[in-house]
Amino acid sequence: MRKTRRVVLACLACTPGLPLMLRAGSGFATGDGGELDAAMLRSLVADPRRARLLGYRYRAQFPAEDHPDVLTDLIRSSLGLPDGRVAAITRASLLSVLDARVRSEFGVGNIVGVDGWLLARTEARLCALCE
Amino acid sequence: MFVDARTLPPKFIIDADVCIVGAGAAGITLARDLCGGTRKIALLESGNFDFDADTQKLYAGEVVGHAYTPLDRDRLRYLGGTTNHWQGSCRPFDALDLADWPFGVDELAPFYRQADDICQLSSHTFEPMDWSSEEARPLELGEGASLKNGVFLYSPPTRFGTAYRNDLAAAAGLTVYLNANLLQIDTDDAGTGVSGLQVACLNGNRGRARARFYVLAAGGIENARLLLNADQVQKSGLGNQYDLVGRYFMDHPFVPLAATIVAHAASPQMRFYDHHVVRGQIIEGYLSASDEVRRKEKLPPFAIGIRPAGVNVNEGVGNLRLPPALRNMMSENIANRLTYYLPRLLNRMETPVTWINDRLWLNPPGAYTTVYTCGADPDPASRVTLTNTLDALGMRETRLDWRLPADLERNMHRAHELLAQELGRSGTGRLRIESSATTGYDPMEDLGEGHHHMGTTRMHDDPRRGVVDADSRVHGIGNLFIAGSSVFPSYACDDPTMTIVALALRLSSHLKSALG
Repeated sequence: MRKTRRVVLACLACTPGLPLMLRAGSGFATGDGGELDAAMLRSLVADPRRARLLGYRYRAQFPAEDHPDVLTDLIRSSLGLPDGRVAAITRASLLSVLDARVRSEFGVGNIVGVDGWLLARTEARLCALCE
Repeated sequence: MFVDARTLPPKFIIDADVCIVGAGAAGITLARDLCGGTRKIALLESGNFDFDADTQKLYAGEVVGHAYTPLDRDRLRYLGGTTNHWQGSCRPFDALDLADWPFGVDELAPFYRQADDICQLSSHTFEPMDWSSEEARPLELGEGASLKNGVFLYSPPTRFGTAYRNDLAAAAGLTVYLNANLLQIDTDDAGTGVSGLQVACLNGNRGRARARFYVLAAGGIENARLLLNADQVQKSGLGNQYDLVGRYFMDHPFVPLAATIVAHAASPQMRFYDHHVVRGQIIEGYLSASDEVRRKEKLPPFAIGIRPAGVNVNEGVGNLRLPPALRNMMSENIANRLTYYLPRLLNRMETPVTWINDRLWLNPPGAYTTVYTCGADPDPASRVTLTNTLDALGMRETRLDWRLPADLERNMHRAHELLAQELGRSGTGRLRIESSATTGYDPMEDLGEGHHHMGTTRMHDDPRRGVVDADSRVHGIGNLFIAGSSVFPSYACDDPTMTIVALALRLSSHLKSALG
């Protein structure tokens, strides 16, 4: 009985981290001088539906961040792109920056518990942006 | 030589230099190592070569406090003792594990090396990287990481009664008395020396054993019971002048489904922390707190293992849980053998087992669960006492009151936070902690024990803080020693058997010197 439940849980809970969660590909739609906005960040997420579930919880936990603009600014800031400019950045390199940031947050313990998942702060915010 | 004590003449007398009570891992190790030369060794075993229900009933007792496996099922009372259902996990304690012991890791190291061989391990190395392979390798933990890797090596497992039966039969100067139960420990009037042991058989035959030295090696619960029952001179029991006998009972809390991990399918890092075979040796990696973090955060020793979701993580590969109806149809001995040997055989057929598992349980790729076990600070309220119920030989039965560490859940949560950090930092995966608030499942519901009985005659140089001294001699009694995990003053997250064997060898060395 428990085995079945565990399997179902595991399937439902397929919310892995950036290596699995972010959408790979080369079709990133920013050109020179483009700005990294909420829509672009959302487009990085492979499974927005599942991310939304976590995002909903995150926003409830941190009401001060419960706005797309706030979340976008916080993510951009954490990526070292405070003015949002993503000149000449490719999708792959942005993913790489995100991945490095998330790993770094795990490394220093900047993690947050969302619905039982222990996520890096930036990836939790990315989920919240999808909500 | 084996002798059935039931066939001895009434009021028989056994004379020896050393009389050992209990033929489990400690008693057999001690007897094998002591014999030789002109020494005369008597090894008393309550059971016979195989399981017997009437003898097993002598282990019956009462469990109060936290739930615990019935005492007459948790242990086995025949030649080889509880090693007859040992899973086989081995690892030597490290320096931090032995911090509260009267001696350090250097003292035990040479005995551990011998214990490796006695436990039939194929290697002496417990260095995780020595067991790394392309298919299964430990997480790469950087300098200053909060976690450290460890590895358990699995004994075949050694059934001491079977593996060393021929040795025991052939050993010069050694006699193993089967069906011989220790009934009472007689002392001089002052209670400072043992003068003999009263021995009884279930068929009514009775006798006496006399020796220069006596060693109780009857198990982590039974050693305390034997001392507490020996209340003819010292009314609170032998060695119990400071009310310590039976206290500080310890076992490993075991949480089989503490968290879910989602990682890449067939991750070699995930596979390392489950049972697997490397160069013919079954091993299992585990993760625990680094020494620095353990000290800084005052965390207990813990071990986190990882299993594919869907595998019976409650028992692991090494222990097939038989349906009760099937078990009841078989004798305990056959059931135990089947329970332990069949999964081990299957474990060696890795590909078919994986295939079956994938299909039988529809195991989703990349989903894993953790298993958590830990030590804890010794608690005097966690204890073994006696009831007023008498067993078939007229001895008072045991009452066990196992107390869980108060901060168990908090520490388990913290341990998983540390693991989640490492999984995220290394890009291996993500972790979700189970709780009734999030997943609807409370891991504590399935909390069990490691079936490791420790601490009831703890070792300490100060008689006010320990029942035995650093030589395993009962404080205040010149010729009574204790072997086994009941002398552990603290414990790590490991199966105690290998340390029991190492300590028995150390005690043997001491007794040899004393015998001259």
